[in-house]
Amino acid sequence: MPWLKGKRVLVVEDEALIAVMVEDMLVEMGSEVVGPAATVEAALALALAEALDAAVLDVNVRGERIDPVAEALAARGVPMLFATGYGEVKLASGEAATVIDKPYTQEKLARGLAAAMGVAHTGR
Amino acid sequence: MLAASINEGMGAAPQALEEERAAHLETLYRLTDRLYRAPDLEAILSAALDSITEGLGCERCSILLFDEAGVMRFVAWRGLSDAYRAQLEGHTPWEPGAHDPPPIFVPDIDVADEADEVKTIIRGEGIRSLAFIPLTAQGRVIGKFMSYRPAPHHYSKGAQALAVTIARQLGFSIERAQAERARRAALRDLQESEERFRLMAEHAPVMIWMCDAGGRCLHLNQMLRRFWKVEDDGISSFDWRSSLHPEDADGVMAQMGDALARRSRVSVTARYRSASGEFRILETVAHPRFGNDGTFMGLTGVNIDITQRRKAEDQRELLLAELNHRVKNTLAVVQGLAHQTFRRTDENARHAFEGRLLALATAHDLLTRSHWESTSLQQLAKDTLQLGGGMGQRIEAQGPPVSLSPRAALSIALAFHELLTNALKYGALSNDTGRVNLAWTLNRRQGKLQLLWREEGGPPVRKSGHRGFGSFLLERTLASDLQGRVDVDYEPTGVTCLIEMPMPETGGDACPG
Repeated sequence: MPWLKGKRVLVVEDEALIAVMVEDMLVEMGSEVVGPAATVEAALALALAEALDAAVLDVNVRGERIDPVAEALAARGVPMLFATGYGEVKLASGEAATVIDKPYTQEKLARGLAAAMGVAHTGR
Repeated sequence: MLAASINEGMGAAPQALEEERAAHLETLYRLTDRLYRAPDLEAILSAALDSITEGLGCERCSILLFDEAGVMRFVAWRGLSDAYRAQLEGHTPWEPGAHDPPPIFVPDIDVADEADEVKTIIRGEGIRSLAFIPLTAQGRVIGKFMSYRPAPHHYSKGAQALAVTIARQLGFSIERAQAERARRAALRDLQESEERFRLMAEHAPVMIWMCDAGGRCLHLNQMLRRFWKVEDDGISSFDWRSSLHPEDADGVMAQMGDALARRSRVSVTARYRSASGEFRILETVAHPRFGNDGTFMGLTGVNIDITQRRKAEDQRELLLAELNHRVKNTLAVVQGLAHQTFRRTDENARHAFEGRLLALATAHDLLTRSHWESTSLQQLAKDTLQLGGGMGQRIEAQGPPVSLSPRAALSIALAFHELLTNALKYGALSNDTGRVNLAWTLNRRQGKLQLLWREEGGPPVRKSGHRGFGSFLLERTLASDLQGRVDVDYEPTGVTCLIEMPMPETGGDACPG
């Protein structure tokens, strides 16, 4: 995935097994993973401090909404991809977010990130 | 039967006739005047008895009317004993409704053609001469009046004419009084029925209202008056529009305005502020009301407070969404487990497993959207085979509308996934030209749903003894889950798969077993 090569992607996911898998998928596609963060607090710290090209966010992190992290990332202009089992996700700004349904394949993840980052994705 | 016997007033002097006529006229004048003023049947009968005794010069007389059972009964009398009335009640020379019969005058009962028994009763009362004058209404006999004398008597022509005239007047007055009584009874019934319905509407456990053709409030029942806290006398000045939620006001006003303009039924749901200050969701159904002459009178409506129901529905939606989220999160965890387990050992196995897991998740989504009630086969095919996009463009699916139970939907979703995966890897979708045809039919006579997956234009199918998990899943698991039959044929020209299962009943079982 040339367009993902060396890109720094923040991963927020409270389920360790899912987090490891997402990390694997991203690394396999050539990107560098920031995190994974398993709490909103940890995620917020990374969102504010790290250099980021994109973020893959769980919507509900240990019962807390991801909103503060999303707002911080939006303020910095970092493209976000929400991974959820809820279906639709509304951002604080009212815009519809880019969403992929859990569970998802590496291919779906790549397509979702491409959509969020505004990159033309042409498959493998 | 008493014989009729009419005798002329023989040899009366012209002057006496003149006086008699004057007296009769005087009697009729008084009768007419009294009947005109009579407030009820009793007054009518009393006036008639006076006229009979005065005009016909007798002391005893009676008035009898047919009752509802057609029995002639005494309703008024002068100088008759109880025993006499009891013995002769029902005695009548005419059937009820007889057409305009002539009167009967009996000058002397002793020589009349009548049963001895009856004669004995009459003589026992001290009566020798009788007159039977029929009372008619619209030409039909409704009763009679009787005149009795202690000695034999011949009625003069003038007296007979007077008797008949009195009878006509009396018959007409009785008819009028009875009609008036019936009218009053009908009015009373109507008022009672109105009162009953008013009470029903007033105390019904729903909100009932009426407005005029311009939409102004005419009536609010108790529940609605309490909802808005409107006093009984404040209805006409009450403006219900002011209680509408600002966001709903335009829509409701447009729909009500339209219903008034088109004089049609309207159904609208909106939020209204109740007297306690909170907004409640009211579902309104109103129907147009028309007068007897067809004039549009306004609308009559019923409001039902569905706030509680809405809350319960929302709660249920929320719970379902939460459940779906958790299930899918769990599926993702299972995916993660598989990821770790097969890592760098068996990529193919991992991909196959992942695909199946995702097919399950897709079907799950679909079931959540349909609230785990039933799922359309079309939608299931569209979602799992991604019809219309990518490879899915080469799959043609057709069949009648079918609703699947959740259990059947999950099984068929997995079947579609296996078939699609196989077609992509080895079958019709593994080259650039092959196609898949998916068709289903309902055989109502046999109560069966048949699905046929047919591939064509793919590379030649290799007949191998190898039966992968895919075929196993299809032929064994699916057949058992669907309580049906699955046949997979690896024809050289393309794979065909026939799925046959009992026809699904709409609604289906509520959860997968």
